[in-house]
Amino acid sequence: MRGERRVMRGERGAVMRSSLIPPLLFLAAAVASGCSVQQPPPAPAVAEAPAHPLPFKGRLVEGDASAVPPAVAMSLSSTSAVTFIYREELTHDDYHIPLIVTAFDPVTYVGAPLGDLGVTAFASLSITDGDRVLGDYTAKVHVSKSYTLYKEPTHREVEQGARAAVREQIDQKLYRDADRLAEALAGAGQPAAPAADK
Amino acid sequence: MKRQVAASLLCAATLLTAGCAVQGRRFEKASAPPDNAVIYVYRPYHYGSSLLRPSVTCGEDSARIGPGGYHAFVVPAGSGPILCSVEGAETADQVEIDAHTRVYYIREEFVWGVLSGHPHLNPVDTDQAHTEIAECCVQEP
Repeated sequence: MRGERRVMRGERGAVMRSSLIPPLLFLAAAVASGCSVQQPPPAPAVAEAPAHPLPFKGRLVEGDASAVPPAVAMSLSSTSAVTFIYREELTHDDYHIPLIVTAFDPVTYVGAPLGDLGVTAFASLSITDGDRVLGDYTAKVHVSKSYTLYKEPTHREVEQGARAAVREQIDQKLYRDADRLAEALAGAGQPAAPAADK
Repeated sequence: MKRQVAASLLCAATLLTAGCAVQGRRFEKASAPPDNAVIYVYRPYHYGSSLLRPSVTCGEDSARIGPGGYHAFVVPAGSGPILCSVEGAETADQVEIDAHTRVYYIREEFVWGVLSGHPHLNPVDTDQAHTEIAECCVQEP
């Protein structure tokens, strides 16, 4: 009788162990495969055209020739009838986490951000041929960099980043519109300069 | 004994209220020759880091501005960007101003650092700067 009982207990134990295996396997599979929210695949980035001259030349009537988008800088000519008007404005918006918060936060002392330096750059470019506006482009970019107790960027670095980014945006808009601009100028009788290899 | 404590408290209260603020004349517009830009660098009064007076340089001029003080930098306009910089014990900050014939405002402020405050030069919109700089006094040399 005792032996039978022992056998019975042993069988029950075996049954219990075997019944535990599927849930454990399921759990392991879930852990291994991950139950996190699946991130959608990143959208394919639009290939940005490298800097090259526009298919026409223009004269800068407003703006600093050393501070214009690269495509405009490469397409300047003092004798052209087409004019460029380029404006760029920067606004600063720094953010500092209050000292009362950061002073008592242990992560401050291991290099957590204490705030950030932000610059918003707004640029506008107008291309005119006499009284006719051929194109009007605007771009706005916000760049910010955080600073810590141990390391911080200068405002100048953030400004330069914002300026470069906004000029890049203007350039890309120009490149997308270059064919239309060239056609508009050709229709007006303006010679279009041969475009560089795109 | 009570008199000594009262005197100490009065002294501390005076220091706390007056701090080490700049004691010059109240803000008044600086006159600049034509074809020049004026860059006001001001430091609103704040007791923290009040002992720090790092040198601020704009173009070829420099000044050490105390808490509650300002300095007007007159720089030639149209000759490219003017670099304004401040150098603290641990870090430095720089900002570029495209100097045209107009007025610019930069607020000098301090965030805390490892051993001493880190100076920042923060360009500020005219509207905001007007109210803040009105509380400041000219930094006497």
